[in-house]
Amino acid sequence: MLGLGVDRLQADINRLLTSLFHQGVLDEQFLQLQQLQDETSPTFVYDVINIYFDESEKLLRSLRLLLMDREFSDYKKIGLHLNQLVGSSSSIGARRVRNVCVAFRSASELNNRPGCLRGLEVVEHEYHYLKNMMHELFQLEQQRLLAAGVRYPM
Amino acid sequence: MTVERQDCVALDQFPVGMRVLAVDDDQTCLRILESLLHRCQYHVTTTNQAQKALELLRENKNKFDLVISDVDMPDMDGFKLLELVGLEMDLPVIMLSAHSDPKYVMKGVTHGACDYLLKPVRIEELKNIWQHVVRKNRGSNNGDKKDGSGNEGVANSDQNNGRANRKRKDQYNEDEDEERDDNDDPSSQKKPRVVWTVELHKKFVAAVNQLGFEKAMPKKILDLMNVEKLTRENVASHLQKFRLYLKRISGNQQAIMANSDLHFLQMSNGLDGFHHRPIPVGSGQFHGGAAAAGMRPFPPNNGILGRLNTPSGIGGVRNLSSPPSSGMFLQNPTDLGKFHHVSSLPLNHIDGGNILQGLPIPLEFDQLQTNNNKSIIAGNSMAFPSFPTSLPNNNNHLVLEGHPQASPSAFPGHQINKRLEHWSNAVSSSSSTLPPPGQNSNSLISHQFDASSSNYSIPFCDSTIPLNPALDHTNPRAFYRATDLDSNANVQPGVYYDSLQMRQSGNYGPTTDAMLSSNPKEGFTVGQQKLQSGFMGGEAGSLDDIVNSTMKQEQSQGDLSEGDLGYGGFSSLRTCI
Repeated sequence: MLGLGVDRLQADINRLLTSLFHQGVLDEQFLQLQQLQDETSPTFVYDVINIYFDESEKLLRSLRLLLMDREFSDYKKIGLHLNQLVGSSSSIGARRVRNVCVAFRSASELNNRPGCLRGLEVVEHEYHYLKNMMHELFQLEQQRLLAAGVRYPM
Repeated sequence: MTVERQDCVALDQFPVGMRVLAVDDDQTCLRILESLLHRCQYHVTTTNQAQKALELLRENKNKFDLVISDVDMPDMDGFKLLELVGLEMDLPVIMLSAHSDPKYVMKGVTHGACDYLLKPVRIEELKNIWQHVVRKNRGSNNGDKKDGSGNEGVANSDQNNGRANRKRKDQYNEDEDEERDDNDDPSSQKKPRVVWTVELHKKFVAAVNQLGFEKAMPKKILDLMNVEKLTRENVASHLQKFRLYLKRISGNQQAIMANSDLHFLQMSNGLDGFHHRPIPVGSGQFHGGAAAAGMRPFPPNNGILGRLNTPSGIGGVRNLSSPPSSGMFLQNPTDLGKFHHVSSLPLNHIDGGNILQGLPIPLEFDQLQTNNNKSIIAGNSMAFPSFPTSLPNNNNHLVLEGHPQASPSAFPGHQINKRLEHWSNAVSSSSSTLPPPGQNSNSLISHQFDASSSNYSIPFCDSTIPLNPALDHTNPRAFYRATDLDSNANVQPGVYYDSLQMRQSGNYGPTTDAMLSSNPKEGFTVGQQKLQSGFMGGEAGSLDDIVNSTMKQEQSQGDLSEGDLGYGGFSSLRTCI
């Protein structure tokens, strides 16, 4: 029974990953991330992605605050935040998020406020989608580990 | 911040255990970077603050071998950190950024970065970064520090810090004085002008590095360089300028931008060792293609720029404002080994009337400024923001410099391909008289090279010899071979060339590889391939070699062309099209 559960879960995980790759939500950089996970850092992917979520949410909140401000004019700051988002998203393989951030960044470089607002919405949307997917992935992974009888400090 | 202590690093295991300091305010990237570096078996210390990084570095100068730093950091500009580290600690610094904008890359280069990586960083890129340590060490220490962690290095690095720069400069001044006297005597006669090409400068720099920056004397440098027909005086004055340049660079970063006389164009083209083969020139064709004196926009290609790992050819180009003599030197006194001599590329306006865009340094050099006709070279190289390559051969200045257009994508792995492109450019420039082809295939270009690269290897401005015959023999064939038989333009050699011309502004980069790899079935013969490889191998070290190889090529081409079914077959193929 245990074995079957593991296989099925593994299949689910694979299916989910494949789908995400297919949609362009993730790219090969994510694979590199997975490869960096090993016995010495068994929860590497989970850790890094969580760090990513924390940092990104801070940035997104900050971006929203900036743009919501009527007297907003600090495009440069937006650009800096976005730069960071682009960097971190691309580093974990979040391709779609990265791409929309780049687009957003372009709008900010042109000091285009409506463009920025739109950009922000798109980024938020993509980001949340990614986050949900990642949560699902982690859940599956955790179940799989449980089913396989492995215990890792999480 | 995590610090790991591994005090004993076996010297002979380098690059394993190389000590890297990673700085990035983005925690995600920092974690990933740390992990990647661990995978490469380096010893990693991380911090998310530039200030902290500086403290770490200052606290023990010998604690790290290499620094990798992000560009956009809130507490301190990454470029500033870069400069400080370069000046104070003389460590190789690699920049990281999420921005592929060429401006930033340029800034990185001009501020002395050994390399500029784009995020996402891949492990392949990190696996080779140790070379920067070796390079730097060779530069400062005659190789004692090869392992990167030897104690011998300490003394040197201490010397190299802070006051060392100043002290060295003083020494240089003394040396220069001595040399100047010598220079005067023999230089009474008009001497053939030596154009300090990238190649030459590279040798020069390598020699200086080997001797030790502080101890480099023209005679010794000359010996090490081992370049025919280069005189001690040439070396001496070049050394003088080089030192002045370095002095200026380290003394005043800003002045570089200020000068309006020279607009040094980046060597974005020069990034990463474009050993450009200069295009002969004379035609104004390259103007447009030259992308404003060599400032070629980088293809926003993470992959490519990311692979910019071995900037062997990067001439630290800054917009050197100042006097011409400063134009082409490295921006970082310590980066001796790494950068090519970069010619100053005045943006479009060197001297009114001067058609040379991207004027090569020679024009700027004092010694070059004579009205010596050899300034043909300058003329030749106008098309690109390149370094006029010069063989110390007066009469034939071989313009062997890279074509601006091709530059952006020249990377170590693709260097050869790039060279081909350059040659194609060269070819096209010289074949300006050919009628425009309708054809479009990039493959032409590459194959063209394959077939006759050597033919075009000597782009003398007035020389037409290698080209024409080659055209007749080889190009059409190359052309046919290379392209799909669909294209109609192929009939004439001229067509081929013009397509090259038309290609001028294209970015050959991506296609080149494909072209080359799709090595046309057979016919492209042994001869050609031999030539190609022979050609590629040679760094245009000697004009004679090139001429010889060209001649040989022509002969072999001729042979092939006759009876070879492949070639001969084309005409019939053509009719079938």
